[in-house]
Amino acid sequence: MPLHPQTPNREDLEQTWQYLENGISKIMNDLQQGMDMKAYMGIYTAVHNFCTSQKAVNSSSTSLHHQGGVHRGAHLLGEDLYNNLIHYLTAHLAGLKEQSGQFADEALLGFYIREWDRYTTAAKYINHLFRYLNRHWVKREMDEGKKNIYDVYTLHLVRWKLDLFDSVQKNVMDGVLKLVEKQRNGETIETAMVKSIVDSFVSLGLDENDSSKSTLDVYREFFEKPFLEITNVYYQLESKQFVAENSVVEYMKKAETRLSEEEGRVHVYLHPDIMIPLMKTCQRVLIQEHKTLLHDEFQVLLNNDRQDDLKRMYNLLSRITEGLEPLRTKFEAHVRKAGLEAIEKVANENADDNLEPKVYVDALLEVHEKYSSLVKIAFKEDTEFVRSLDNACREFVNRNKVCKAASSKSPELLAKYADSLLKKSAKAAEEADLESKLDSIMTVFKYVEDKDVFQKFYSRMLAKRLVHATSASDDAETSMIGKLKDACGFEYTNKLQRMFQDMQISKDLNDSYKEWMNNTLDEESLKTAVDFSIQVLGTSFWPLTPPNTPFNIPQVITKTYDRFQTFYFQKHSGRKLNWLWHLCKGDVKATFAKSSKVPFTFHVSTYQMAILLMFNDATSYTYEDIESTTSLSRDYLDPSLGVFIKAKVLNIEPASSKVGPGTTLTLNTDFKSKKIRVNLNMAVRAEQKQETEDTHKTIEEDRKLLMQSAIVRIMKSRKKLKHAVLVLETIAQIKSRFTPKVPDIKKCIDILLEKEYLERLDGDRLGYLA
Amino acid sequence: MSQIILLSSDNVEMKVDKEVAERSILIKNMLEDVGETPDQAIPIPNVNEGVLRKVIEWCEHHRNDPPPPADEDSDSRKKSTDIEEWDQKFMQVDQEMLFEIILAANYLDIKPLLDVGCKTVANMIKGKSPEEIRKTFNIQNDFTPEEEDQIRRENEWAEE
Repeated sequence: MPLHPQTPNREDLEQTWQYLENGISKIMNDLQQGMDMKAYMGIYTAVHNFCTSQKAVNSSSTSLHHQGGVHRGAHLLGEDLYNNLIHYLTAHLAGLKEQSGQFADEALLGFYIREWDRYTTAAKYINHLFRYLNRHWVKREMDEGKKNIYDVYTLHLVRWKLDLFDSVQKNVMDGVLKLVEKQRNGETIETAMVKSIVDSFVSLGLDENDSSKSTLDVYREFFEKPFLEITNVYYQLESKQFVAENSVVEYMKKAETRLSEEEGRVHVYLHPDIMIPLMKTCQRVLIQEHKTLLHDEFQVLLNNDRQDDLKRMYNLLSRITEGLEPLRTKFEAHVRKAGLEAIEKVANENADDNLEPKVYVDALLEVHEKYSSLVKIAFKEDTEFVRSLDNACREFVNRNKVCKAASSKSPELLAKYADSLLKKSAKAAEEADLESKLDSIMTVFKYVEDKDVFQKFYSRMLAKRLVHATSASDDAETSMIGKLKDACGFEYTNKLQRMFQDMQISKDLNDSYKEWMNNTLDEESLKTAVDFSIQVLGTSFWPLTPPNTPFNIPQVITKTYDRFQTFYFQKHSGRKLNWLWHLCKGDVKATFAKSSKVPFTFHVSTYQMAILLMFNDATSYTYEDIESTTSLSRDYLDPSLGVFIKAKVLNIEPASSKVGPGTTLTLNTDFKSKKIRVNLNMAVRAEQKQETEDTHKTIEEDRKLLMQSAIVRIMKSRKKLKHAVLVLETIAQIKSRFTPKVPDIKKCIDILLEKEYLERLDGDRLGYLA
Repeated sequence: MSQIILLSSDNVEMKVDKEVAERSILIKNMLEDVGETPDQAIPIPNVNEGVLRKVIEWCEHHRNDPPPPADEDSDSRKKSTDIEEWDQKFMQVDQEMLFEIILAANYLDIKPLLDVGCKTVANMIKGKSPEEIRKTFNIQNDFTPEEEDQIRRENEWAEE
């Protein structure tokens, strides 16, 4: 056996081609039998030798191309091999085309795939074996710009497309679509088949301008297009039928399943390129065409808190354009209604004056919590839904039944609720718990429009907590102020922070006052000095008003009073001290009671102290005596006495009459109490109510000032401005504090015109007067 | 490192590292397509022992060269006739051997070797008159004086 392959006469085309065709046929039809090196090298060498032969025996069909004569050598041989290869392939494919006629559907797919695999594998071999042709003749032809000349592998694909694909693709595609329909109907199919077909279609997309690149054109036209069409038809029919027989909720489940099935289909056996158009098609048929149905069901689902179904609906409608808009509108209306109803319920259950701040705030929070969690769980925290939620909450927080009289009721109750949390009490909340409650206050606060009202009430109650040392925890106070600062800025909490500072300064002041006393007083005076501490608070930061009653300072504390003033004015000359007696308090030891050997300690206000001290000199006074000694107005005197009578420290005559002129008050020496310390300093309810009204009144005043200063600020920078523009800019500036009313702004402008800050110019314009 | 056997046209077997033999795209493709059959020699019907040894020598030396860039225009070797020192020495062979190496490189599909061979020939031509070139390569002048004159006129532009 020869070691080298027998190769044909390199100069004889007929012989060479016969040799080659024999080899190619084996590769094309019997490759599974294997191929030995000798045969391989033989074919390669035959191609090489033919192409490099000096004097090829020209066949008549190609002799025309040898115009230049053989001896020039510039002409590359190979065209004959190339053309013969085309003939061979065409014949081979014609055979396949004929065979394909006996198959249909799945059998046809099987045949196509089998032949395609065989053909492309052979093509790869032949391409390698004809590499010499590719490198020289084909390359030269292509470099010279000849069309329809391809490297040998591409030539195989081109022939497949022209000689077989174009006539069988429709039947193949029918098979594919039938298979997919089977799968959609729930049958199991061999998905690898479809995938092979897809790959084959994709391979056939050749770029006419650059055969080294491929395009998806063939695939798109012959696979994608019919696939999408049939999908459309299938789901149109299915969804129409399903909707007729099932509930909307069931339909949504169905649509969801179908969409994810189709998506999975792409991953498993389709080309990724189809994902977008396929989803678009499915979304149009399954969602878009049924969206009215879905939209109509939304309210029902909301009413029944069907979170899962709402989530499903959101997910479906979010896939189409404009699908969610109707939901958002309905959602907003629904939340607003829910909020208003919740408030109406608590308002009906509690009389206006009795409405506990906690009950009110909890009712607001409950609604917010419910729907914000719905937004989170069902609506993926969609920013548009968050905005709808915010809009709805802002509505029902500021304009509900409780706020009917005044929109400032919400911030008032909220501030009161904050006070109840921050004040020392028996049921003080755990720290972590407290923090989360403060956070929930901020949740409501965010929606409050009259933030200035909240600020007013909050600062008043903070002042009280600080003055009376009833704050539960400094940390909690600081944390709350921090939250407010984060929400509204430095200016909003400036005064609150200054109040804290004053408390610290006062602490130091008390220490240095004690030191001063030790240095300046003799021992005797020190001994008799009343135990005393004081807070000095900056008038402009604290929402405190001086007492509105005259008061004679009792003898016992005048020394202390004078002494402290001397000390303070030494330290800060030129300052003025206003003594807020109505906020002061003291402990008094009472030794009059016969029932106890240990003296009672009464915790009382300064006014009450002044009354009690009178009884050091006598055991009985008429109402008028007390009134003239203390010179307290009856607004303060009567409740102070009332507490004593109720606690049976004093007896009134005539018995069980109302405190007032004509009554006599006598020390009750039979006074009894289980406790040694008795707190008689109780705030009077009427006083509180008065305070609330005062607060509201000052808010109106403050708002006018706020608006005026905003107007002046704007005019100072703009100099000249149209009236209407000024109004708009003022609203923009003030909005974060409260929503100003246009007539109020106009009033403020008039005031400023009168005060000659502004002047009227022509054409409805205003000018700034420096 | 697996080895393979090459069989020259005059039936001499040569053992070479597979990596070395695969500098030839022909052998590389074939091994890929047909698969390796150890102990069976790969017939190389167009190259004799002497030339094949030369070619293998070159492949051994260049076994670790990076693959040539895909984009042929950016291939700097194409633009100059510079030849690296080792290759120059390698090509210092008689003319017949030089042409045999070029033909073998073309047949075996070893492009870098083909390039070096052609450059060597190009350098032999560079700067020579037609007459000198004919002498160098022992070419008979088969042009008539008229033909030669015409060609000269046609190519005048290139000599400026």
